[in-house]
Amino acid sequence: MAAIAVLAMALIWLDSHAPWLQPLRNATGYLILPAQKVAAIPAAMADWFGESAAARQELQAENKKLTARNLILETKAQRLAALEAENIELRELLSASEQIDDRVLVSTLIAVDPDPYSKQILIDKGSEDGVFLGQPVLDAYGLLGQVVDVLPRSSRVLMIADSNHAIPVQVNRNGVRAIAAGTGSLAELELIYVPNTADIQPGDLLVSSGLGGRYPKGYPVARVDRVENIPGKPFASVTARPSAHLDRSRHLLLVFQQGSGQVPPETLWRKQ
Amino acid sequence: MMDFRTLLVFATSVFLAFTLQRLPMPEILSWLQPAWVTMAVTILVLRAPQVFGLWLALPLGLMLDAEQGSYLGLHVLLLTLHIYLLQVMYKRVAMFNFIQQTGVVFLLVALQQLLAYWALWLLTEDSRPVDIWRPALTSALMWPWVYALVSLAMRKVRH
Repeated sequence: MAAIAVLAMALIWLDSHAPWLQPLRNATGYLILPAQKVAAIPAAMADWFGESAAARQELQAENKKLTARNLILETKAQRLAALEAENIELRELLSASEQIDDRVLVSTLIAVDPDPYSKQILIDKGSEDGVFLGQPVLDAYGLLGQVVDVLPRSSRVLMIADSNHAIPVQVNRNGVRAIAAGTGSLAELELIYVPNTADIQPGDLLVSSGLGGRYPKGYPVARVDRVENIPGKPFASVTARPSAHLDRSRHLLLVFQQGSGQVPPETLWRKQ
Repeated sequence: MMDFRTLLVFATSVFLAFTLQRLPMPEILSWLQPAWVTMAVTILVLRAPQVFGLWLALPLGLMLDAEQGSYLGLHVLLLTLHIYLLQVMYKRVAMFNFIQQTGVVFLLVALQQLLAYWALWLLTEDSRPVDIWRPALTSALMWPWVYALVSLAMRKVRH
């Protein structure tokens, strides 16, 4: 008893101070893989039934809608290519570093953390697919969170709405910088330390500012919901609604940024 | 040493416990997720104390840590204490009727949650709320059913 307890304490101490135990974490990750996969089956089955039971009409309507949407996006993409070329040219003029499109990897949600206090999810890509600690995760609508734990075939993502998470943002309209902290509710972020005089209005789009080096620049994070100036308080109270569909998205994108590297695990927060 | 049948029961119960632990629950029910792995350990130790001892804490604790993304070793420590307490009193607990057993499970799970909370508080500055009572309560309520089911399964395997 004492020997195992001491061993356990030594492990805890090691894991909280150095990244040496990652191989052990990987090995045990393989052990729990079958259970994880089986636990994900009910949701996958519900999905499959939902898809195969959809009526023909619905599918046709959806197909039509998607085709139309695709056309619009294609047109936009054409313009984007031109803009990007122009952007690169201008950057070259400024002799700034070239910004290339981020490479992404598509992954699927396999589980949501059962602990109601933490806003974390599991995805089906891990270190074998090149996922690294601190990697930004997006869905189709905006920034969703970052990877905080990597196992061989799955990883754990801390969502931006977790109360232990904060992300540097700026207002798309005028570039005012702020920090969006999670509140623990999936539908709300809070902008902290915003002066009462800052030019932020309801409806403003907040994009990631890229400061802090963790997240890429320019992805939508949230839309400002409410701005309240309370007399006597040093900071305005600003809340925003995350752009990413934190509680609905099943397909997520892992971003491989140019120049982003492995983040030392000790800078990350872990839950129990 | 373990014979094949014991190994089968062991592997099945551990697999089931981890699957149930990870099973997605609706938002409201997520408050009530019982500690399935702890229950599985309790059953194994109570049913076959000469086979399943403290060594169980090492693999299962590490698996729990990997599964929950916690510090490696935290659950090893919690399970070690849990199994130790069970070993100290397993003769009595095995004789208890199911209401008394339910009470024991409740106390043990609550103790685990409390220790996890303390350990986290020591390790990380930010103390987040850890639910102490609800997992203990649901585990205790699930206990008689799980115990009856596993006993039945074990009897089937033995014969």
